[in-house]
Amino acid sequence: MSAWRRLHVKVRRAHGLFTSRRVTEQYTWMYGPSTLGQNLSTGKPLRNDFFKAQLAAMRKKAADALPGSSWSPFDINPNLPPERADIVIIGGGVMGWSIAYWLKQKERVREGVKVIVVERDLTYSQASTVLSAGGIRQQFSLPENIHLSLASADFMRNINEHLGVLNEDPVDLQFNQSGYLFLASEEVAHIMEENYSTQRQVGAKVTLLSPTQLKEKFPWINTDGVALASYGLENEGWFDPWSLLNAFRRKAMSMGVIQCCGEVTGAVACSVVHDGITACVEQVQMPKGLEYQMVECAIVVNAAGAFSGKLAEMLGISSNPKDTIAGTPVPVEPRKRYIYVVHCPDGPGLDTPFLIDYSGMYFRREGLGGNYITGASPKEADEPDTSNLEVDHQFFEDSVWPRLAYRVPAFEKLKVTSAWAGFYDYNTFDQNGIIGDHPVINNMYFATGFSGHGLQQSPAAGRAVAELILDGNFKTLDMRGLGFRRIMAQEPILERNIL
Amino acid sequence: MLKILIPTLLLIPTSWLAKAKWLWPTTLLHSFIMTLFSLAWLKNTSETNWSTLNPYIATDPLSSPLLTLTCWLLPLMILASQDHLAQDPLVRQRIYITLLVTLQLSLIMAFAATELTMFYVMFETTLIPTLILITRWGNQMERLNAGTYFLFYTLATSLPLLITLLALQNKTGTLSLLIIQLLGPIPISPSVNIIWWTTSLLAFLVKMPLYGVHLWLPKAHVEAPIAGSMSLAAVLLKLGGYGMMRMMLILSPLAKELCYPFIILALWGVLMTSSICLRQTDLKSLIAYSSVSHMVLVAAAILIQTPWGLTGALILMIAHGLTSSALFCLPNTNYERTHSRTMILTRGSQMILPLMATWWLITCLANLALPPLPNLMGELIIISALLGWSTWTIIFTGAGALITRTYSLYMYLMTQRGPVPNHMISMNPSTSREHLLLTLHLLPLLLLVFKPTTIWGSAY
Repeated sequence: MSAWRRLHVKVRRAHGLFTSRRVTEQYTWMYGPSTLGQNLSTGKPLRNDFFKAQLAAMRKKAADALPGSSWSPFDINPNLPPERADIVIIGGGVMGWSIAYWLKQKERVREGVKVIVVERDLTYSQASTVLSAGGIRQQFSLPENIHLSLASADFMRNINEHLGVLNEDPVDLQFNQSGYLFLASEEVAHIMEENYSTQRQVGAKVTLLSPTQLKEKFPWINTDGVALASYGLENEGWFDPWSLLNAFRRKAMSMGVIQCCGEVTGAVACSVVHDGITACVEQVQMPKGLEYQMVECAIVVNAAGAFSGKLAEMLGISSNPKDTIAGTPVPVEPRKRYIYVVHCPDGPGLDTPFLIDYSGMYFRREGLGGNYITGASPKEADEPDTSNLEVDHQFFEDSVWPRLAYRVPAFEKLKVTSAWAGFYDYNTFDQNGIIGDHPVINNMYFATGFSGHGLQQSPAAGRAVAELILDGNFKTLDMRGLGFRRIMAQEPILERNIL
Repeated sequence: MLKILIPTLLLIPTSWLAKAKWLWPTTLLHSFIMTLFSLAWLKNTSETNWSTLNPYIATDPLSSPLLTLTCWLLPLMILASQDHLAQDPLVRQRIYITLLVTLQLSLIMAFAATELTMFYVMFETTLIPTLILITRWGNQMERLNAGTYFLFYTLATSLPLLITLLALQNKTGTLSLLIIQLLGPIPISPSVNIIWWTTSLLAFLVKMPLYGVHLWLPKAHVEAPIAGSMSLAAVLLKLGGYGMMRMMLILSPLAKELCYPFIILALWGVLMTSSICLRQTDLKSLIAYSSVSHMVLVAAAILIQTPWGLTGALILMIAHGLTSSALFCLPNTNYERTHSRTMILTRGSQMILPLMATWWLITCLANLALPPLPNLMGELIIISALLGWSTWTIIFTGAGALITRTYSLYMYLMTQRGPVPNHMISMNPSTSREHLLLTLHLLPLLLLVFKPTTIWGSAY
């Protein structure tokens, strides 16, 4: 019986009436003439479309044969970095991409310098940039810091002039300029006043508020214990770090910067003269596997963030005796900080600034749905373990909530909806950024150790490093105070914080 | 001739049998000795112009300067490559020297050939060691692309040349230069004449290079290692010029009209390539385009077929060979220290390497054709010859000369003056090897100021 059926179907198929050649043969003999006009298999194309498939393949083959195409008979891993580059930037966070963008911006002719950015984790799962709270403020005590933040804020206000790419969506940083509000107690109020005068002198738009003015402006604050408050009126607030990173990256890549996913696992010093070393070849390891590529380079920029200290150690900086210039380690290590997202419908409201209390607690509004982001700096003794990014919720219960609820009574009733942890690239020496070249390794530059304010200073810091590399010294902002020299000379420049 | 050829050939076993410690000094010394012998070619006492004559190999005042230049360049190439090959395994060093010697052999036989067939075979043979040098020892991935361009530009135009030579052999019964120069114009039907003319000259025009077909040159020069760049710039380009000068003896009747488009291309080429030099970011690329701009002038001079044109072409070829080779050695000294060829990153080296700045200055001045160096003499004679051919060429050659001076000075000022970047502060000082290398490039140039008749070719 089935043989008759098969014959029957074969005859039908020979006419090519309902079925084309590629119809699934195993079904038609069972079900006879198919009532469906097409088969449901997803493996092969429906029709033998010469124009779409074969012609396109022929054209692609011809295009590959023309000069200018990147076809090569060798099956090389396309993800490997190029064999040589002029400048290798280690670290693909916002600082690394900012430097890459400014280098390309400042080269005077197209393709003046060949820049590659090496990032070991393109999902940015542990990068400080994307895990940051995203705040920007000018309320520092060091003029260099204030200059950096002011210039960065100006950059971000005109971001599309700088980072807009033709035919692509404009950049939207969601820059909420709601300002920072620092609260000082009686003991530290004088520090706040001195900082205020420095900030005004440099050009930040800050104002001091007395407790009554504070209560008037922000009725939801409990002003017990607050002697003075400092409020940023302009260029302060918060923005989306992921958007800034992607904007820098997109613009830099459109200007010709090569992105490479890999980890730098070594370097070769090519000339050791009596007063200096020149690192000339970096060994970049591919993420999954044993493949590596030696990248010959003229300049190396260490923008590895929280892992800069480890990178410098691996590159052999501190293999020399500790009390020599050559043996000065790069004092940057990761420090874990927690951020908790809380939901409080009766909370402070839309004009909430980024409030930082003298007890170390901070919070800011997140979005428009009554959510807030909060956290606190732990004491030196209770620094959390940095081997992972697990969140300690007990810390919220013990250290953050009480202070939060004390300062803003509305926060007594809240619900923690989410939390995450991120690393600070903590400069153990003086908690301020290191921007400059290394005294011994001639062609290594640093842009790291910002200890929590790297993201906000990244545009200006990137420009400073690019000026150092291409022009030889700082042109727009003088960052010599933030150089490596202070670490060698053991002269810390500490921020006079009120916390 | 054999007293040069056999030692060159035997340099190959020398490079394989020498002990590791003595490899480079031995090959260097022996190639210098051969160079010393090759200077004897410069003295030409024959009435027929041909000396060291035997049925296959001869020298005449046209080829002897080029031959001496070729022999002079081998020790210089060996000297220049010593540093960057030091970290290669020994076998690879030996292979490198073997390649250089093979290239040398084929070049000597090409310039000294009396039969056009041998010239052609040797012309093609030079491609192979050069290709291997570029693709194996070049620095970047783009070298594969560069090798492909180099190979196929030359091959695509030289295969028609082979056909032409065979047809010529059929027509005249001989391909010997000694006889062909005495034949009258060759009877060929007018329609085929154009094809004949084009196919015989196109290979050489591509090699020179002529402006429209010059794309292989920047790629090949930039991606090649230093010895490759030196030999390419100094000698291989001159193969094209020499070939043209020999071939055009046979092609005379039609040359008057057919050469027009090529001369126009050449003149535009001077302007265009000099202007491109002003916008280059890569030093080696700048020098490569500078080579193109000088050589298109030579091409134009040969195409107009006047005695002054041919003389000027030969002078400029020799002078350019020495200058261009020196110009490639200079950024190589920078590259070995900073691992970068970009002009923005290698600035202000006068402060750090002052003696090297002297060589930079002299070489850049030679490039911009400073009197009394033969570069200027060659250029002047060519410009005068072109002026006699047509008054309008002065616009191109004058503007081209102006831009040449501009970019030569620009190159000097960018690399030597200006603020010193931080990463160049502590570099290894210039080695005496580098000083010797550059002295040996520039000394012949200075000596030629005093006896330019050596490179005047058949006109003297």
